[in-house]
Amino acid sequence: MSQTARIVNVIRLQFVNRQPFLWIPLLVFGLAVALSLMIYAMIPETGPKYGGAAQAPMWTFLFVGVSAMTLTFPFSQSVGLARWEFYLGSLAAAAVGAAALASAFIVQGFIERATDGYGMDGYVAHLPWLWESGWWAAWLTFFVFTLMAFVLGFWSATVFKRWGMTVLVAVLGVLGVAIAGALLVVSRREAWGEVIAWFATAGCLQLTGWLALLTAVLAGLSYLTLRRAVP
Amino acid sequence: MNPVVRARDLVKAYPAGNALDGVGFDLEANTIYGFLGRNGAGKSTTMSIITSQLFATSGTVRVFDEDPYENPRVLGRMCFVRENQKYPESMTTAHALRAASLFYPGWDHDFAERLVADFRLPLKTKVKKLSRGQLSAVGVIIGLCSRAEITFFDEPYLGLDAVARQIFYDRLIADYAEHPRTILMSSHLIDEIADLIERVLVIDGGRIIMDETVEEATSALTRATGPTAALDRLARSHRVLERRTMGSAGALVFHGIPSEAESETATHAGVRLESVGLQESIVHRTAAAATATGPELSPTSMEGALS
Amino acid sequence: MIEEGRALFLQIAESIENSIVDGSLAEESRAPSTNELAAFHRVNPATAAKGLTVLADKGLLTKRRGVGMFVTAGAREKLRAERRAVFAARFVEPLMVEAATIGLNAGEVIAMVKDRATAVGAQS
Repeated sequence: MSQTARIVNVIRLQFVNRQPFLWIPLLVFGLAVALSLMIYAMIPETGPKYGGAAQAPMWTFLFVGVSAMTLTFPFSQSVGLARWEFYLGSLAAAAVGAAALASAFIVQGFIERATDGYGMDGYVAHLPWLWESGWWAAWLTFFVFTLMAFVLGFWSATVFKRWGMTVLVAVLGVLGVAIAGALLVVSRREAWGEVIAWFATAGCLQLTGWLALLTAVLAGLSYLTLRRAVP
Repeated sequence: MNPVVRARDLVKAYPAGNALDGVGFDLEANTIYGFLGRNGAGKSTTMSIITSQLFATSGTVRVFDEDPYENPRVLGRMCFVRENQKYPESMTTAHALRAASLFYPGWDHDFAERLVADFRLPLKTKVKKLSRGQLSAVGVIIGLCSRAEITFFDEPYLGLDAVARQIFYDRLIADYAEHPRTILMSSHLIDEIADLIERVLVIDGGRIIMDETVEEATSALTRATGPTAALDRLARSHRVLERRTMGSAGALVFHGIPSEAESETATHAGVRLESVGLQESIVHRTAAAATATGPELSPTSMEGALS
Repeated sequence: MIEEGRALFLQIAESIENSIVDGSLAEESRAPSTNELAAFHRVNPATAAKGLTVLADKGLLTKRRGVGMFVTAGAREKLRAERRAVFAARFVEPLMVEAATIGLNAGEVIAMVKDRATAVGAQS
């Protein structure tokens, strides 16, 4: 079996059961849309209504990442896969899942545009800020965010497996403190206006670029952690 | 012949003590090994280190003359389903078998189907809902159907009833005869597998204490039963492992085989000589090794040894 | 000398010898293969192969390239002669030891042998 075939087979392994990577995220997406519509229908005011429910399915990838590490990784070791093979293949499988989810999101966006927000000016997918550079930019943002959720889940589970709960809590705690510290600095300097302005001018594409970079760094860290992980 | 696995001076240190304390052995191609030892002796640890799932504190492992770590050329030729193997989220039996089949070019789908029927495995049940025996059966099927050049079975019989165990042994022998490969099987049911295996590796206290053919192991010890006076004569010329007396008769277990002349005299004096079975032979020698290595193992801690 | 728990490959060789002696495995016919023996006796194929080697070494089986092992012509007679030679030591001797233990003399044993011989239909 060629090396490429083995990696492709890791992707197939992740899709032997299509539930975690495909059907559950799509189901969550469907539910999020349905729920949003019900809420929009209850809002009496006219004018466009936007909601952030579409991010819900992204977060399912956090759990997909965790279970890839805690359950699929041990299985991969029993059938003679090298850690790096399993990792590359799983990352690729997550990318396939994220792409499918992002595509569903875009299709939903087109439906919303065509129906003027389901005839009641309510939007879940077709959010102006995301779509301003075109549908492909929205797709990319959704895709990168979902992939990041997977990597974050996978890495957390790997840290937990290698060093236990205390270290995981410490690492996540340090991250949390860093974010809180940044927010505090912004607040102290009363710089919120500038920050919002930056987000507005940077646009979602530039933000996606930064997210992609962060995902790549996390993915690298994740691999380094996995190299000595024990199933 | 060139061994397919070479383990040298493997040490696995934990804060509580060494799980492995200098394990070394070779595995030859196309041989079935029985990997025996008490609970916690280091069997699973050793198998995990050979397959690079676990890392030794020191020592080396070579598989097909290569370092197995992160090495698909070598890892892909091995299969090691653990006794408490985990399977991916919400997978069914059918999923698990399909998933495993992806990684073995020699996977035999028909054989897998027959084994599923033999073990009466429910294909659509989620693996985490299977009973202990059914879980073992999934592992057995993956191990057999993978036809991996080196296959590890880690107490594959857990939860399997006598009928299912016999099915496993029968299929193993039949398939091995057609497709010879290296098999390392850990087991506590020594007498059940004694005829299936060619060699025994016995690990105790993190060290290999026996590495020999089954024939060598079973001919290493002799049991004599009969009148005490005749047993005394045998006891003088052999290293005695165990002696029990009841009235004027008794039983003696000693190292080695009596000479032709010796056994003739003994038989005439009414002594019955027999070789000791594999299980008993290992129990005696494990106990002897334990007393030889030091006092930390009391006789009572030997209770339930290898059972 | 050790009778019980004899090496497995010898037991397998003996089971084939028995089949040859009682005629169920005819001369010139194909002997069971290593794999057949392994599956039947539930033993490691190496053990089964060793059993066959013992018989081949004794000239009871002959290897035919690519086909397998066959019972050598004259194997049956050879085995019968061999067993006759050890009959006294293997059966009569323990018989007389036990007879002595329970107080039977040779005459009484011979009478019993004759009596039983007609029962199993053996020629006297």
